[in-house]
Amino acid sequence: MIDQTRIDANWRAITFELDAPVPSRTERILRRAGFSSATARLVAATPALRRSWAAALAVVVLIGLGAAGEDPANISAMLVLAPLVPVLGVALAYGPSVDPVHEIGLATPIRGLRLLAIRSVTVVAVAVSVLASSVLVSPAANSLAFVWLLPALALTSIAVGAMTFTTPRRAVAGVSVGWAVLVVVVQTATADSLAVFGAGMQLGSLVAVVIAAGVITKRHEAFDRVSP
Amino acid sequence: MMQVLAFGLGASFAGRRALDGVDLSIEGGVTAVLGPNGAGKSTLLRCLATVLAPDDGSLLLDGMNPKFEPDRIEIRRRLGYLPQHHGLRGADRVFDTMDLLAVMKEAGDERERRTMVFDALERVGLTERASDSLDDLSGGMRQRLGVAQALLTAPRLLILDEPAAGLDPDERRRLREILTERRQRSTVVISTHLTDEAAHADGVVVVNEGRVLFVGSPAALAQRAAGRAWAQPDAPIDTVRASWLQADGTHRCLGTPPPGATLVAPTLEDGYLLTIG
Repeated sequence: MIDQTRIDANWRAITFELDAPVPSRTERILRRAGFSSATARLVAATPALRRSWAAALAVVVLIGLGAAGEDPANISAMLVLAPLVPVLGVALAYGPSVDPVHEIGLATPIRGLRLLAIRSVTVVAVAVSVLASSVLVSPAANSLAFVWLLPALALTSIAVGAMTFTTPRRAVAGVSVGWAVLVVVVQTATADSLAVFGAGMQLGSLVAVVIAAGVITKRHEAFDRVSP
Repeated sequence: MMQVLAFGLGASFAGRRALDGVDLSIEGGVTAVLGPNGAGKSTLLRCLATVLAPDDGSLLLDGMNPKFEPDRIEIRRRLGYLPQHHGLRGADRVFDTMDLLAVMKEAGDERERRTMVFDALERVGLTERASDSLDDLSGGMRQRLGVAQALLTAPRLLILDEPAAGLDPDERRRLREILTERRQRSTVVISTHLTDEAAHADGVVVVNEGRVLFVGSPAALAQRAAGRAWAQPDAPIDTVRASWLQADGTHRCLGTPPPGATLVAPTLEDGYLLTIG
C-alpha cells in the first residue's frame, strides 16, 4: 500500500532541493575542505564576516606594502601595527553594530562565545596567514617574523575580555589606544623601536592571555545578552 | 505551548529603567502587549525572549529560569523571536539568511533545514523569493520574513515585537491568520501600539512607563470605558482625559461625563486611553 503522506513529503523535499539556491563559492570551498554544511553556512553566510575579512586583509596589505623594502623604520612600523590586525578582525566580526541579525541570533541556542570564536578564528586565521607571509618575504624581518604573534594573541584576548564589559567598538578602541601608549612608553624608555617585542613583553603577553581567558570564561554569558 | 510567569520584573535598557515591578502570567493564546512608544514593551519582550537579563524580579518560562545558562539554552530551543529592529537587509539571499538562522537554531541536517526553511517561507508567502537578496524585498516582505524566521523550529513560545509594522491590510490579515494558527500550539506574545491589532488577541497587557496597568481580555479593556465615553457637538471646555474630533463632526470625549451627556459604546481604544491616562 502506498503511503501518500510519505510520497508527498518526499516530493516536497525534492521540490525544495530544486528550489534552493546553489551555495556561494566560499561555502562550497569550505564544504570541500571538510567543514559540515552547518559550519560552512555559519562562516560563509555571515555578512559581518565577509566585511571583516575584507577590512582585515586591506589592513594587512597596507602593512605589507609599508614593509616592502629594507627600511628598518617601515619594518618596525609594520611589526608594531601587526598585533592590532586580529583585534580589528574580531571587532568587525561580532556585535550589534556589524551584524544586522545580532539580536535574532542572541535568542537562538547557539552560545554567543562559540559564535564569536568561530567568526574570530576564521577572520584571524586568514589575516594572520597573509600577514605572516608578508613579514616572511620582507628581507630585513625574517628574524623577527613571529615576535608579534604572542602580543597579538594577548591584545585579541584582552579585547574579547573587554567586550564582556562594553561594546566591541569601545573594547577595541581601548585596547588599541592602550597598545599605542605602551609602544610609545617602551620605545621612549629604551630608545629601541622593537623593545616592545622583547622577552619581558612576550612573558607579559602570555600572562595577559591567561588572565583574559579567565575573564572570558567567567563572563562569557555577556555574549548571550544585549547590552543593557 | 509555554507557560510564562514573571514576578516583580524590573529591567533597564539604553541606560534607563524601562521596566518596574512587572507581574505577568501567560499560557497559550495570543497576548498583545499594548502601550505608547517608550512604554517598555520592547524591554519586556526582550526579557521574555531571554536576550536581556532583568535587574530584579524573576522570570520562569515552562518552569525554567533564563538566569541560568542551561535553562536559557533550553528555553531558546523552544523560542521564536522577532525583535523590533530585526536587521533583515543586505545583499544576502533570503534562503541563505533563513538557513543561517536555522543552523543557529540547531535545526538538523541540510535536508531537514531546507524543508524547514521552505515551510516557513511558504507560511508567509515568500517561497518564490527564496533566491532574491534581502534588499530586493519590500519593507512588508522583510517583516514577513522576520515572522518566518521566528517560526523556524516550530517554537512553543513566539515573541514578535511590532510584527504588524509596515504591513499593508492584506499582509496584516495574513499575519493574523498565522498567529491564529500558531496559538493552537504556541504561546504567542506580540507588542503593538495599535489597538486594532490588539483587538484580535486573546489577552491584552497594557504597559506604560515600565509598569503593567492592565491584564485581561480586549473586551474587558474596552469595558473599562463603559459610562466614560460620550460624544458632543462642541469641543470640550472642561478637563477631560482625552477628546478628539470624529469624522461626523462630533467630539468623542473620555473621562467623567457631564450631566446629560450622550454616552457611546466604549471601544478598546477608549479603554486603553483611559488606562494609560
